[in-house]
Amino acid sequence: MDWAETILMALKESETSLVVYVPDISIHQVTKLIDDDDYFHLVSATREEEAIGIASGAYAVGRNSAVFRQSSGFGNCLNALASLCIPCRIPIPMFINLRGEVGEFNIAQVAMGRATRPILDVLGITHYTLDSDDRLMQRVSGALTLCHSSRQPLALCLTPMLHGGKLA
Amino acid sequence: MHRFSATKMLLEHVGDLPVVANLGPSSDELWHAGHRERSFYTYGSMGLCSSMALGMALSTDEKVVSLDGDGSLLMNMGTIATIGREAPTNLIVVVWDNEQWAQTGGQASHTAFGTDLERVALSCGIASTATVFDEEELTSAFLEALDRDGPWFIVAKIQEEEEYLPVAPVEPEMTLYRFRKSFGEKDV
Repeated sequence: MDWAETILMALKESETSLVVYVPDISIHQVTKLIDDDDYFHLVSATREEEAIGIASGAYAVGRNSAVFRQSSGFGNCLNALASLCIPCRIPIPMFINLRGEVGEFNIAQVAMGRATRPILDVLGITHYTLDSDDRLMQRVSGALTLCHSSRQPLALCLTPMLHGGKLA
Repeated sequence: MHRFSATKMLLEHVGDLPVVANLGPSSDELWHAGHRERSFYTYGSMGLCSSMALGMALSTDEKVVSLDGDGSLLMNMGTIATIGREAPTNLIVVVWDNEQWAQTGGQASHTAFGTDLERVALSCGIASTATVFDEEELTSAFLEALDRDGPWFIVAKIQEEEEYLPVAPVEPEMTLYRFRKSFGEKDV
């Protein structure tokens, strides 16, 4: 089972059937699996804060949901997290492709990528960095359990060391 | 047409259906019109009201009502395209359009300068739309939206309230708790 299949299985284990995403090439491998699997409804959002709104609405009526995007898009949704998920206590697991890591070829991706985890810290959002497939199921499944038990958003930052990254 | 009076009229017809309201007076007036377990009040996340309603509509078979605003929806017009793409038949979006950002000083919004949100919705593939100018027209459009498949997109042109009601005494965490509980969730 590769990293993408592992994430897919962890989502199913946590009964997370609505996934909202903004496309990203490095995590396309997993969003493609989700799209091809009838268990999931994959919604394509036009922008990352919209994705947070859609996922939050699903949770409000009792359906677990998750979002996928890259770190630049994390920057687009800060107020949605700060003014909706955190005060309402809406547990949205966020899978973030972390740009600005080893192999980054685009200077415009570096600052937001490197600021992502410090910003998560300031917001008080728990985050884990997935940089290998070592005990990956335990990490992802455990993070999803924690997200729901604490009823707060949570981030899983995926690095090129996990998924191979994007070639320039 | 005034929003508070129109909100009270909508509540007479909406029964137990979930309703999510835009931040500020739209949420306050929904509360003052008569608190319900299935009213979701928002106090931030400007622009996400109809996105939340879309997520709800994709996750329940019940009709879902969004009470959005022109300024807020202009901030997140992409969600109209997503509603058109997903086309949930059970979603009803009502846009309170006062053509201004009333809470920040009454500055004119883009709908005062020709942006036609109904035509935006139509161009995004949302076929069931209306623009209404009084409560009678709104009632008629809303009853049709409750009765027939959507998604529905109803622009309600309003005059801004002369006075605002007190902020509704609701905690965001409790709003989510009540709302989820009404859908049978036990883990909240």
